[in-house]
Amino acid sequence: MLSFLDEPRVLHGIYVLGSLTLFFIGLYGLLAKRHLLKILISIAVMELAVYLLFIGLATSPGETAPILSDGLQGFVGMADPVPQALTLTAIVIGLAVLGLGISLAVQYHRLTGKADVAGLTELKDV
Amino acid sequence: MTMPLTPVWFIALPLLLAFASPLWVRLRLLMPLLVGTPAALLALALGLLPAVRTAPLLETIVIAPPLGIHLQLDSASWLLVALINFAGVVVGAFLWLGETEPYLRERRAFILILLLIAGCNGMVLTGDLFNLYVFLEIAGVSAYALSALRRDAPALEAGLKYLIIGSVAAIFFLFAVVLIYLQTGNLSLAAVARGFSEIPGPMQMLIGLLMLIGLGIKTELFPFNFWVPDIYQGSHPAVASLYSGILVKAFLFVLFHLVFLFLADPGVAGAWLMGLGAITMLVAETVALRQEDLRRMLAYSSLGQIGLITLALGFGVESTTAGGLFHMVNHTLVKLLLFLTAAILLRSFVSARIADFAGAGRARPLAGALFVLGALAVMGLPPLSGFASKLWILKGFAEAGVFWPVALILLAALIEAGYYFRWIKVLYEPRTEVAIEPSEGRWAYLPIGVVAGLIVLLGVAPFLVDDLFIEGARSLLDRTATLVAVLGAGS
Amino acid sequence: MSLILKLFFFAVSLSPTALLMGWDGHLTWTLLDGVGLSLTLTPLAAFFLLLLALAAPLVALPMLRRPADWPSLALYAALLAGMQLLLLAGDFVSFFIGWEIMTWSSYLLLLRSPRTEMATSQSYILFNLASAFLLLAGIMVFYGLTGSFDIRPLVGPTQPQQLALALLFGLAFLIKVGTLPLHIWVPRSYDEAPDIFSAFLSAAISKMGVYGMILLLTLFPEALTGLYGRLLNGPAAGYLLAWVGVITAIVATYKAISQEDMKRLLAYSSIAQVGYITTAVGVGSSLALGGALYLALVHTLVKLLLFISVAGIVLQTGQRRFNDLGRLIERMPISFFGVLIGIIGLAGMPPLPGFAAKYLVFVSLVDARWLLLLAAMILSSTAAFIYCYKLIYAPFLGHANSAGAREAKEAPWPYLVPQVILMALLFGLGVFPGFAIEVLIDPVLTALRMAPLGGSSWAVLTTAYGGYDGVVLMSVFVTAFVLVTGLFLLLRGRMRRAGSPYDLSYAGEVPTEETPLHYGAGMGRELRRIPLVGWILRHSSQGFYLGLTRQMRAAAGLLGGFYAGNPQTWILLAVVVFAVVLGLQAVTGGI
Repeated sequence: MLSFLDEPRVLHGIYVLGSLTLFFIGLYGLLAKRHLLKILISIAVMELAVYLLFIGLATSPGETAPILSDGLQGFVGMADPVPQALTLTAIVIGLAVLGLGISLAVQYHRLTGKADVAGLTELKDV
Repeated sequence: MTMPLTPVWFIALPLLLAFASPLWVRLRLLMPLLVGTPAALLALALGLLPAVRTAPLLETIVIAPPLGIHLQLDSASWLLVALINFAGVVVGAFLWLGETEPYLRERRAFILILLLIAGCNGMVLTGDLFNLYVFLEIAGVSAYALSALRRDAPALEAGLKYLIIGSVAAIFFLFAVVLIYLQTGNLSLAAVARGFSEIPGPMQMLIGLLMLIGLGIKTELFPFNFWVPDIYQGSHPAVASLYSGILVKAFLFVLFHLVFLFLADPGVAGAWLMGLGAITMLVAETVALRQEDLRRMLAYSSLGQIGLITLALGFGVESTTAGGLFHMVNHTLVKLLLFLTAAILLRSFVSARIADFAGAGRARPLAGALFVLGALAVMGLPPLSGFASKLWILKGFAEAGVFWPVALILLAALIEAGYYFRWIKVLYEPRTEVAIEPSEGRWAYLPIGVVAGLIVLLGVAPFLVDDLFIEGARSLLDRTATLVAVLGAGS
Repeated sequence: MSLILKLFFFAVSLSPTALLMGWDGHLTWTLLDGVGLSLTLTPLAAFFLLLLALAAPLVALPMLRRPADWPSLALYAALLAGMQLLLLAGDFVSFFIGWEIMTWSSYLLLLRSPRTEMATSQSYILFNLASAFLLLAGIMVFYGLTGSFDIRPLVGPTQPQQLALALLFGLAFLIKVGTLPLHIWVPRSYDEAPDIFSAFLSAAISKMGVYGMILLLTLFPEALTGLYGRLLNGPAAGYLLAWVGVITAIVATYKAISQEDMKRLLAYSSIAQVGYITTAVGVGSSLALGGALYLALVHTLVKLLLFISVAGIVLQTGQRRFNDLGRLIERMPISFFGVLIGIIGLAGMPPLPGFAAKYLVFVSLVDARWLLLLAAMILSSTAAFIYCYKLIYAPFLGHANSAGAREAKEAPWPYLVPQVILMALLFGLGVFPGFAIEVLIDPVLTALRMAPLGGSSWAVLTTAYGGYDGVVLMSVFVTAFVLVTGLFLLLRGRMRRAGSPYDLSYAGEVPTEETPLHYGAGMGRELRRIPLVGWILRHSSQGFYLGLTRQMRAAAGLLGGFYAGNPQTWILLAVVVFAVVLGLQAVTGGI
């Protein structure tokens, strides 16, 4: 009954809608929330949306994971491995940025007691 | 074992040395290596120059057939690589000799600066989009961390702000990369370039816009550059000199590299970029008129010059492009000079407010004279190098019979004079009670002096290097040559 | 060491002379792709190089006094190098390079004075850079038209092209010479500059603007005879320029009269003199150009002499206001003669060469039938007598009104030597007014393909409207001077008794030796009551420029608001731009 979902067009449509929704949720958080950690999380959500979009659209239903193992010796019927490799790399980078961001936010909070993005007013035009 | 001297060393060497840093701390080699690494790379670049001038050097490190790291060193990217490593040498030498604050002389700063250099080298050299993203993030992360290195409230604030806006830029860029891959199935710049025209128009537009926002934030174009003054103000001036001197230049190069490579007819995109450049230039120069803080003033001036470079490169004619590349080099030299001089002045005069600088030039004659030299060069006054490149750009516009950029550039230079000369006047304010303390770290003037000498030399005798810039402009503009070189003649 | 450096510096200051004597040839220097500098010496440039060669060592000499200000000396050397490059330029790039080096080095020299204010230094550099950038814009237009930077006449330019070039170049040079609405930077900077450097500013640097104006005329095929047709008997385009010059002269003259400060008075008088030169350039006939060059020569000599004398007075008394000075004739006699000769030259009175120069300009106006201009010019040059009188009277005669003035000694020799040399030069030119014409001016006119003025001998100045013999004139004046002075010295004893200050009385009060008394005081105040003159004195274009500055700062504040937000604002703006552009594209491009 839900087999129409296996249509690549439909599936990709769902992926696009879903990841765009996620992207805009992240954007909303980035623009509307004021706590530094929430902002960093929003950034992470937006990144995630892009990864999902990438992985989702690069894979069609029926393809297997691009892993050469006992039974599978050729690149037949496999998903394109490039997006997955790239996404893995991007996740690692994203993690590093997030880690740095959080450590900075924590230090900033310890030093000044502030965690509000609107409170970042030390540097401004005089 | 042979160690072929290939472009990969520009990325590998700083990365290796950065990650082996505990060793260098123990051996007390931190500072010598901070200077030595970029110096070695600069020497390598100079050694490769004859080969690059005959044909671009291509190198592919194959990991798995579709995944490989593809590096391309042509006349244009050679300029940037040489510039980046030269700036690395200068800033490293300044940190080493100048007895700067301890936090810039320990292991963490060493790692971050080398990472920044590696990232910039990588961005300029890389031949595929995803590696571009990776290097962009490497350079970005090290820059965020460098800003926050001082760990007081302004520094952390600068680091946080930089991180937030930089991550957003990276997301937009990544989005564009993803769309390109989904449309063309390729990540190699040359292959994408070949297939780019087949992407449907609206999608091209969307990709272009995402790229513009991602790279526009990174290259500090109006209206994406509102973060710049804050970051430059919060960071140490020596670090800011790296941002203004090499990071932005690498991004600018990437932006125009992509524009000229992907688009068979870069006219429309070029016009957009020219417009953005002109607005950036005028807005930044005007805002700088009111700045009371030395670091912010330099930041706005840096924005103005970037606008000028964008304006020149966007025109896409050989002589303006060559002039624009030359101006990139000159601006890096000038901003190194100004920011490092500012670092020296800030050390002796506590605050960066204009009122506290009254008479500083009389108390510190050498620093004052260097500041004046830098200011004259940045305004493009002869006989300094800024003049030669500006003349080249203006000449290119005049040859093409397009005069509105000429008028805008000159107007911006006049506004720029309005604030630089205000600072110079304050610097030489006759005030007797300026305390003349014995200045320590006289060696800090050595790297600055070298830069100043280069500014004068390039101003008086630009013919020594103009061929390099003409070749650089040709290789930047000549799309088909790049495609043929990478993909073979059949494509 | 210091002596060697000083000698070296003095040698540098002689370099224009050496160049003038020794230059024969052509030098080229490649700058970059397709841009080269080519240096030659045209007769026109040689004339202005001569002015520089006169001014440079005479100004350098007082600068060398102990304690020497080394940065000033270095900057002065850079300035001289720039000006020589400017004069040798055979192409516009070297012209511009020289022009800019002159601009920034003179600005930095201005900063060496402890009196320079922010408003002064900013107006100096901004006006001069505006002039430089207009020049550069003009050069780019010129390059766009001809495809080359060489300075040579345009071939068949169209009307709009001519107009663009004339406007850009013309404005650039008018700013430099300081004609009326663009003069605002002149008085303040001449006043506040280091005292000796003021002499150079007025004598040499302002002449570069004159050089530029004459050079500009040579770019157009028939600029001298009839760009935009002819009006009466002169070029129509020049009529406008001539009026600019005359109005400048009139206004500056009245401003000069009302000044209370010696250097400021001289500054306004410089503006007025350059106004005459501008008028003469506007007339453009060979007589007028000859007059313009002659005026430039005399003005250089006179202003050097006056500014150096005044610098000596300021040095010895510490005072620069008229009311604080007086009675210096006995204490500084050589300076007195310096100023005396200077003002006679400045006022354009016979027998000194100022008369010959002005005579040429007047005659050229008559020749062009521009009689209204002539009347206006005579008005201003007559009014100039008043400030000239003030210049000699106030510091040297009357009462000494300050301790500095009462105890002053004669200026030191580095100030006196240039004065004596300049007096001798002025005297010599007065005796031989034809010398300057034949040796200095006629070669220039010939090179510009105009009729030389020539005379029968060096002693005679001849024009189609009559002339005079300098030797005869000078003998008459010298005889009269000797007779009057002799009589005065004979009767001196009795006159001094008659002239005792105690004989004066105001409202029954008898002023003592200590009572401050100054005949020149309040001269400007009374001048304001004359209807038209009062209006001129009350108004200035300063308000306009201040308003412009305010507007720029307001704009800076407004745009600076963009940079004051927090990260969320920045991202929001980026996203909004993204959305708007996408939306626009969707509407227009039809996505």
